[in-house]
Amino acid sequence: MTGSTSSPPPTAIRCVGVEVQYTVRSHRLLLRDLLRGNSPKATIVNAIRGVDLEIQVGESVGVVGPNGSGKTTLLQAMTGVLPLASGQLMVRSLPTFLGVKAALRPRSTGRSNIRIGLLAQGLRWGEVEAMVNEVAAFTDLGSAIDRPMETYSSGMRARLHFAIATALTPDILLIDEALAVGDRAFRERSAHRLDEHRASAGTVLLVSHNLAEVRRSCERTIWLQEGRIMADGPTEEVLRDYESS
Amino acid sequence: MEKSSEDATRGKERPGDGLFPVGRPEQVGTYLRELWRRRDYLVRVPLEDLRVQNAHTLLGNLWLLLNPVLQVAVYLLVFGVLIELDRGVDDYLAFLTVGVFVFHQTQRTVTAGARSVVSNAGLVRALRFPRAALPVGSAIGQLLSFAPVLVVMLAVTLAHGHAPNLRWISLPAILLALTAFGLGAGLLAARATHTYRDLENLLPFLFRLLFYLSGVLYSVDHFIDDEALRALFALDPLYCLITIWRWALIGTEVSGPVWAGTVIWPIITLVLGFVAFRSREATYGSWT
Repeated sequence: MTGSTSSPPPTAIRCVGVEVQYTVRSHRLLLRDLLRGNSPKATIVNAIRGVDLEIQVGESVGVVGPNGSGKTTLLQAMTGVLPLASGQLMVRSLPTFLGVKAALRPRSTGRSNIRIGLLAQGLRWGEVEAMVNEVAAFTDLGSAIDRPMETYSSGMRARLHFAIATALTPDILLIDEALAVGDRAFRERSAHRLDEHRASAGTVLLVSHNLAEVRRSCERTIWLQEGRIMADGPTEEVLRDYESS
Repeated sequence: MEKSSEDATRGKERPGDGLFPVGRPEQVGTYLRELWRRRDYLVRVPLEDLRVQNAHTLLGNLWLLLNPVLQVAVYLLVFGVLIELDRGVDDYLAFLTVGVFVFHQTQRTVTAGARSVVSNAGLVRALRFPRAALPVGSAIGQLLSFAPVLVVMLAVTLAHGHAPNLRWISLPAILLALTAFGLGAGLLAARATHTYRDLENLLPFLFRLLFYLSGVLYSVDHFIDDEALRALFALDPLYCLITIWRWALIGTEVSGPVWAGTVIWPIITLVLGFVAFRSREATYGSWT
């Protein structure tokens, strides 16, 4: 936006000393505190312990790390659904998390769920109606799109989720284990959709345990360990260290 | 905690690089506008939930109507045939039906609101939206499912010889009062339930107590002669709501304090509920 950003691409996401905490309550603890007349204290889990990160517009960044290392939490913090315990998190536009799954209704049909999912992402009814057939076609579910979602196989469900979540193309897309779904044909089509997104200067963060997928889609990778960045660099180098750890 | 990170973010904000901080709490006006922008979601999704609610039953959504009909049938059997008890009320069945249906509708709205945040934890973590959309959506859902109940209630009062009259014009307003109170109490309960899950276990007992205190089964005016003591009942929002509904449908007399209560309670509860709910907005995602 300013003159200084003319040569390097502008920043899409900037994290400075970001810390995120979860509050997990133990009810026994709660009662004990109440009896002592203290205000009830809960266990604080430090999920992200100081992350510094700068991601440029148009970059595609993989995020790897063991279970519980804070990968999903970091992405959630970027969408603003989790408050920061400290640090600052700046974005060029509000990132969208591929997390529409939670809004969907098992008893409703695939098509109704497309409508619900798009409404949940903030669209108006008119916009939804204009898009619903296109999204339904992308799922490639055929006549199953008009059957209740609870009758779907897990692969069919995943296709529906992916189609709904990527129907809106936000500038910054955060993906949590969404690509390794569906059959080979669908995986190729979803990868293609992400390529298109990057081609139009979109930024992608991809959390995945599927390292082949990270290698394929990301030139840069971040390795998270216990809420801190262990390594941040070209995908090949980071994954070599990660795999030998 | 949220406050300090808020301040830090504002302080270091660099104008001109096109970046803005995430998770900054919105002004009330922005918040309400954002909520209004989601009005299609707030109506369409409860409607869809209602549509598929009885998907696995033989009679389907006929149950929405059958439920209140069967309820009235049970009262007819118990209080009309088994126990000859009118407790000083002429058309006891209509009196009882209005009381019970209005009470249950309020209870359902509050209880659904109380659960709305806790039971949608996944959605709260996944998408960014004004969290008040959850209690508001659940209140709208309860309002929609009240339609068949209202039909049965009107049928019962008509069957008792209460012809349609001018008081029916007030029905939308008193339905609004009921829903506003239910939503306000639901917002308060949702915020409290998020901190103290225990409330979910207490709510049914609180409502059971209010059920007996609010003159659902009996006429308070018939049992209590003292004017001052009667006025005290206006402190019970449920008593006010039930009495107003009875006024509109079967012509029960309404005292001044109860009129005042009907107007004031929904407003106070809604404002308090909204302020209390929003004060914890940022933590709804990070507390488990």
